[in-house]
Amino acid sequence: MQTHIVEVINMPREVAWLPWAVQYFFLIGLSVGAFLLSLPGLAFGRSKWRNASRLALLGALVCGLTAPVALLSDLHQPGRFYHFYLYMNATSWMAWGSFFIPLYLGGLMLYAWLVTRPDFQRLADRGGRWAPLYRRVAYGGLSSTGAIRAAAGLTGLGATLVALYTGMEVMVVAARPLWNSPLVPLQLLVTAVAGAIGLVLVLERAMGIVRVADTRLLNQALAASQFAALAVGAIWLALGLFELSPSHVRALAEVSGSPEWRLTAAWAAAATLLTLALALLRSGHGLLTGLLAMHSAWMMRWTLFIGGQEIPKVGAGFHAYHLPLGQDGWLGLFGTAGLWVFVFIALTSLFPWGDARDSQMT
Amino acid sequence: MNEDTCSAARRSFLKALPVVTAGAAVPSLGAQAPGARHHWAMLVDIRRCIGCQACTVSCFMENAVPEDNFRTIVSTYAVEQLREGKKEIGTFMLPRLCNHCSNPPCVPVCPVGATFKQPDGEVVVNAERCVGCAYCVQACPYDARFINHETGKADKCTFCTHRLQAGLLPACVETCVGGARLFGDLNDPHSEINRLMALHKDELKTLKPEAGTHPNVFYIGLEDEFVGRIDGEANLWRPTAHGA
Repeated sequence: MQTHIVEVINMPREVAWLPWAVQYFFLIGLSVGAFLLSLPGLAFGRSKWRNASRLALLGALVCGLTAPVALLSDLHQPGRFYHFYLYMNATSWMAWGSFFIPLYLGGLMLYAWLVTRPDFQRLADRGGRWAPLYRRVAYGGLSSTGAIRAAAGLTGLGATLVALYTGMEVMVVAARPLWNSPLVPLQLLVTAVAGAIGLVLVLERAMGIVRVADTRLLNQALAASQFAALAVGAIWLALGLFELSPSHVRALAEVSGSPEWRLTAAWAAAATLLTLALALLRSGHGLLTGLLAMHSAWMMRWTLFIGGQEIPKVGAGFHAYHLPLGQDGWLGLFGTAGLWVFVFIALTSLFPWGDARDSQMT
Repeated sequence: MNEDTCSAARRSFLKALPVVTAGAAVPSLGAQAPGARHHWAMLVDIRRCIGCQACTVSCFMENAVPEDNFRTIVSTYAVEQLREGKKEIGTFMLPRLCNHCSNPPCVPVCPVGATFKQPDGEVVVNAERCVGCAYCVQACPYDARFINHETGKADKCTFCTHRLQAGLLPACVETCVGGARLFGDLNDPHSEINRLMALHKDELKTLKPEAGTHPNVFYIGLEDEFVGRIDGEANLWRPTAHGA
């Protein structure tokens, strides 16, 4: 018996996690990834990573300081953010996230301050209008590897918990098979690290401090991250195709019939392969690979969150989504980007991140 | 249609009439000893639904539901079947609402504990506490929740808990033209809903039983094709989406 069903009336549900959420997951992921990249040069004293780690710290700060604003904006009652602390529900990963984010950002700022103290002292010693401010910030200008490593450990704990909660928060949603995969936290982390490498490559170019050795180093790391992304993607596909996991089978069944989803999957795979090829074959050039890696990290989150919410849980077909112009759409995307640029300008105006040769950062 | 079912539902419908007119006594909700807990549930006899959307409209009127969303709706499907070479065309109506699950996935995800299950079984939202994060909207496997853009908070069917507290039936039950919606107390062994569920125990179904949510909305006449996500063409009609 063949049955053909046409849905005449049903309740189409709109996207409830808005583009703000995409921006948040993108920025906090990039921040965590960039923090990890800052470790070899700044906390573990690997000299070949010195320049890249310095820019990575800048990237971690700019993205980390911007991300919570996007998260707050995604709430429909942002003025009630304090409810997270007054009425914590311990069974919710989102509730835990409200504690992990300040832990991570607090640790990150402490770590950044400990790393940059000697540089602020050096700036203060040069004199000038801002010297008193630099002297205050330097607070003696002491450089302590032990303190830096301790702060890096604290931030590392925060970063781990942020990566864990952002992944788990999505993974536990059994109602959405596309999200309900144990691979989702891993996919978010791998693409976050790849995006962070891309960000550092772009920052190199944007700040005019391109060094071929640094670019090659970053492209090597980027190539490794693209291998990892392809491997995780292949495992996800295999779990669905070979019916090894019911949630993956359901997820694949929900999207495999859609030409738009097939195009998106092909696009994502092609972008990853192109990034991999360029990172290996043109390892001395970083701008294109950097932009491609950032694009893939953002697109993965857009597809997961906005695309995932377009799949009805009970109805037929797909919910239609059109990115609106207002604060729930384009304005939110541009607003977050604008805030990112503002924080970037503020941090780079305050401190000369660009030239590691003048820095005492180790 | 089974005569017993028909007469029972008609009786239930007639019982509700004095409530509509007088707004006082609610014979169909039954009596309970003081302090005893109810276990509210709904039984939907799909065979009786005529798709008139009176339940949808009464819910809008009772609960001030914003015009671009629904707490309940009668999903309507055009069904074409090829049976033994012969084409059969029909319409299938499926009243949908929050299932007030015994194991509601929306409750544990709420970061501030704003959504919870009342002692009598209704899953409700504390609007004073809700931050509008929409995590519960994502977690509900039935698409029964939404963000109310007039209040900025999560919104859903409450089984008309304010009416229950006043001894009244949910608005959708009172206005159901075909008597398809029956509401009652599973803890009351003499309730009409218990009697009908026992009578039709082999035909009873819930939506998405594999989700492990243990819904408290039960269906008679629910075809297998409609238990989960519908494998068919997308809906033809949409309200104006917020921000779109």
